[in-house]
Amino acid sequence: MGTDGNNKSFTLVEVIDGGPLKITGHLILKDPKKDITASPAEVYLCRCGHSCNKPYCDKSHNC
Amino acid sequence: MERDNNSFSGGRRYRNNEITVYWLPDACVHASYCYRELIEVFDPGRRPWVDMNGATTDRIIEVVNMCPTEALTWKWNDEEKNKNISPDQTNHVIFRRPELLIEKENVIEKNPVSIKIMMDGPIVIKGDFTFQYSGNTKEMKDGIISICRCGASNHMPFCDGMHRKIGFEDK
Repeated sequence: MGTDGNNKSFTLVEVIDGGPLKITGHLILKDPKKDITASPAEVYLCRCGHSCNKPYCDKSHNC
Repeated sequence: MERDNNSFSGGRRYRNNEITVYWLPDACVHASYCYRELIEVFDPGRRPWVDMNGATTDRIIEVVNMCPTEALTWKWNDEEKNKNISPDQTNHVIFRRPELLIEKENVIEKNPVSIKIMMDGPIVIKGDFTFQYSGNTKEMKDGIISICRCGASNHMPFCDGMHRKIGFEDK
């Protein structure tokens, strides 16, 4: 039994300069083409188009 | 920064490990029984104004029952104990706001933010979230943004449709 009910459902979407999109918190990720449905607490998504593991970042933007 | 899930439409709720007290400000007629009787718990000059650790559960129930309106109501957290409530417990939610008795935890829990990867297109984000980019912070309420995934947008970080022009393909 909770004592104060402070269930956090706070989600932060952060554009990292020169890098991926970082999303943390309460989320549901869907990628129909890759058949992904997931609720990770933290995810880094490719923004440069070069990742070999789309939709996730694989740090190809550094190349 | 955190979301306050003790708010619900029309009011707020406060809990200790035995009971939940509901506060519906629009119903208050300022009869002031609550803070005259129990300032340790109900202190209008404090935020949050209700401190559920300020007195025993029995005493909090006693004072909530004095409220002449439905502004203050209470229920046991143990649902079984809400099934046989004596009528002298005047401000139990069953007599004032029975809909609060069946309130589920997830009624006020926000839906998860939807992150959808569009086929050979952008990331579409929908819901309530904090959005940070280039030193800006925006609070999005039931918001929607579309973030470039092909790297060719002229309006970074947002999608401007360039993925079609360059033939971006999500392999």
